[in-house]
Amino acid sequence: MSEPFYKPRFLRVFTGLVYLYLFIPIFIVIVFSFNSEKSLQVMQGFSFRWYSDFFNDPTLMDSLLTSVQIAVLTMVISTIVGTALAIGLVRAHSGTAKGFNILMLVPLITPEIVAGISALLIFSQLGITLSIWTIVIAHITFSISYVTIVVRGRLATIGTEVEDAAQDLGASKWESVRLVLVPSLWPAIVAAGLLVFALSFDDFVLSFFTTGEDAQPLPVRIWSMIRFGVSPTINAVGTLMMVVSISAVALAVLVPRLFGRRESGVKVLTGAEE
Amino acid sequence: MAEEAIRIENVTKRFGDFTAVDHVDLSIAQGEFFSLLGPSGCGKTTTLRMLAGFEVPTEGRILLEGDPVEDVPPHQRNVNMVFQSYALFEHLDVQGNVAFGLKRKKVPKDQIATRVAEALELVDLSSRAAARPNELSGGQRQRVALARALVNRPRVLLLDEPLGALDLKLRRQMQIELKAIQREVGITFVYVTHDQEEALSMSDRIAVMSDGRVAQCGPPEEIYEHPREEFVAGFIGVSNLLEGRVEPGGKVRIGEDCLPVPGLDGAGDGDTIQIAVRPEKVAVDEIGGDAYAIEPDMFTVEGEIESKVYLGVGNQLTLKLAGGSRLVALEQATYRMRADEQWEIGQKVKVGWHPEHCMLLG
Amino acid sequence: MTSKRFWDWFIFPGGIWIALLFAVPLCLVLALSFGHVDDFGRGVYGFTLDNYKDVFDPTYVPVLLRSVGYALATVILCLLIGYPVAYFIARHGGRYRYALLAALVIPFFVNYLVRTYAWVALLSDQGLVNNLLVDLGLAQEPIQFINTPFAVVGGLVYGYIIFMILPLYGSIERMDPSVIEAGKDLYGSPFRTFLHVTLPATQAGILAGCVLVFLPAVGDFVSAQLLGGPDTYMVGNLIQDQFFAASNWPFGSALTVIMMLFLAVWMVFYLRRASRGEAEVL
Repeated sequence: MSEPFYKPRFLRVFTGLVYLYLFIPIFIVIVFSFNSEKSLQVMQGFSFRWYSDFFNDPTLMDSLLTSVQIAVLTMVISTIVGTALAIGLVRAHSGTAKGFNILMLVPLITPEIVAGISALLIFSQLGITLSIWTIVIAHITFSISYVTIVVRGRLATIGTEVEDAAQDLGASKWESVRLVLVPSLWPAIVAAGLLVFALSFDDFVLSFFTTGEDAQPLPVRIWSMIRFGVSPTINAVGTLMMVVSISAVALAVLVPRLFGRRESGVKVLTGAEE
Repeated sequence: MAEEAIRIENVTKRFGDFTAVDHVDLSIAQGEFFSLLGPSGCGKTTTLRMLAGFEVPTEGRILLEGDPVEDVPPHQRNVNMVFQSYALFEHLDVQGNVAFGLKRKKVPKDQIATRVAEALELVDLSSRAAARPNELSGGQRQRVALARALVNRPRVLLLDEPLGALDLKLRRQMQIELKAIQREVGITFVYVTHDQEEALSMSDRIAVMSDGRVAQCGPPEEIYEHPREEFVAGFIGVSNLLEGRVEPGGKVRIGEDCLPVPGLDGAGDGDTIQIAVRPEKVAVDEIGGDAYAIEPDMFTVEGEIESKVYLGVGNQLTLKLAGGSRLVALEQATYRMRADEQWEIGQKVKVGWHPEHCMLLG
Repeated sequence: MTSKRFWDWFIFPGGIWIALLFAVPLCLVLALSFGHVDDFGRGVYGFTLDNYKDVFDPTYVPVLLRSVGYALATVILCLLIGYPVAYFIARHGGRYRYALLAALVIPFFVNYLVRTYAWVALLSDQGLVNNLLVDLGLAQEPIQFINTPFAVVGGLVYGYIIFMILPLYGSIERMDPSVIEAGKDLYGSPFRTFLHVTLPATQAGILAGCVLVFLPAVGDFVSAQLLGGPDTYMVGNLIQDQFFAASNWPFGSALTVIMMLFLAVWMVFYLRRASRGEAEVL
């Protein structure tokens, strides 16, 4: 019967076309970042000039540094707070826990523009000048939810027996969390941290509303560049940012392997059972 | 030093509306191998967890070595537990796992090394000290869990169905090893299981539990030979349950048959009573043939073979007695039987058992 | 026993943070929406409904409707394009499944702005697409792609399709393949099997994907800004204007509140389905 063969072929072609559609702009970005001329339409020759422009531009380098700083701070703080939140939510069986379980999802499905505006409002209300710190605070707010979700997924597959065993052997409740639970969650924690790093590094809308006078993170700078004068430097920046983000996520997937455990990073991130 | 290792004083544990443990009262002596035996949901694991400190009794109290322990959290009790799924610390190697408890107690480093080595020696795992839990087999993981608990020299060791995950052969082997270790170390073992053969073979005393209460508590022989309730008779081994009416002269009428049953003094004439007989205590002989199985002082009736199951070791015969009741007999093919003897369905036979093998049930 | 409070200590930092820095600010937005602008152009809290009256002014209502319309179109397109791809990877991907997924995700690591701008480069009057069309003789003169609703929706689809494909993939992958076999027996044609068996079975993923695309799409302003013009203004652009150019924060807040209320309906719908297991949880 020809039907089984028909279906995959159509799907295969269709999927191929979709992948093409997805990758063509990326291709453009990468290829034109090496354009020797200013054009974004016609490829004239191969050159690294836009990359060197990027690295030699003090404002852009400042922005890069700012983005990295923000991402690192966000990663560290939201990982600690988010992991604690995940542990608390899963282990506590109280009403507060159930309430927070829902509350914690809301930042994830709120449109960024709303998050941006509300952040702007509270900072202005409290008289806090916008700066790199306001961006960090805003990023941490949504990052906590991401970390909590990733860690919570992993936590669900670990029973309480191991903590009971630790306590039975003389560890206090706090010690059993510190010495036994957290080590077993470590791959998920690291994966969540790297994910959050990538998200923060790449973030635009939220940063746009909370950026102050001092250095702007890279995506906000790109926005200005697009509005006020474009050059292939954007493509160079975009390509570089892509490499950074991909590396962060690739690490997030590979790190559990490096810990010597036979778990797939994808499974850790999505909390799937082994 | 108190006589008893553990005293569970009229303890009840409720979870909301559900009573998991119902007025359980037990005393466990020092150095005893004590089993809690029963089907799933009978409360044995909850009782164990209360001993460990993971649950707190709703009523009643628990004393470890004479001291009440309501306010003592698990990490401060001198009791260690081997969990059903072993609960090994995957991020530590075997050495790290076993040393964990000692580190918590701030035992000096050199002592830790010696004691860990001793414990691993005891469970025969010295060669695998540097291995990680995920590299070990089920039986090895079980032994790590055991070593990890024993190294702390607890007064009492609690074991929650520790052999459940092992295959039959390994389980039998571990049962022997566990018993030997218990004798060697001399500490009190409280062992939870649903496997009655396991309990019978390993324990000094067994508490049979059902629906949160203790149905009967005593040494294995007593539990097996003199069950006090239908539940116990049915749970431990296999039993033939017969219902009959008490008649004058210490007899019980079952259908058309009248058996002499010793120890009937409590019951009044005309009362309905339950008795049980173990299948291996039922002897079956050909009618008119030589008496191989049936002995002179046995009570006998006539019956017919209804079905036969060949077990290799012998036969399991379902017999229909003349009076209408049914009985299962377990007959071992011993050296006394003729090699060519075969039972046939419908064959008329003589069935008998010793009166003292009648078990009176509550 | 201390056990009950013990875990609460773990919840407090994160819980308080989200409550104070997320929930409270949202309330501020709500509060400011009832305010007005003072003589210095600053937003002042008050008790007026003027801003809401302005929202429903004929000048602005089309913008609101347009946003919903574009977002809806985006969802439908994402579903139509995304479902076959997700299906293919899940059911016919074999051992290349994870590689295919990884490849799928890579484009989304390029910054949203840069990606969208690449489409501008492609679709502008002097862009590659037009150059190609003219060179091949398929068009006399450059076709207007930019500054049309199609460009904006196209940008939105491109920007959010991954949020449709991933939940769909998860849901299709989790589906028991024998159900499809049974369906083929029962329904005969592959199309009817798909309709009556596959679609309902992957309902959770479809729901999640639609919500995850619709919600951000409504509030998006980047696509409309880069790929469109004043005629394709979305509510996101409007709001952004109020907070930067026009400096009418109370009005911007009211717009935000209206948008949030509209989205809240779908959010609650999704959260309830998710807690009941009927939608894929993130």
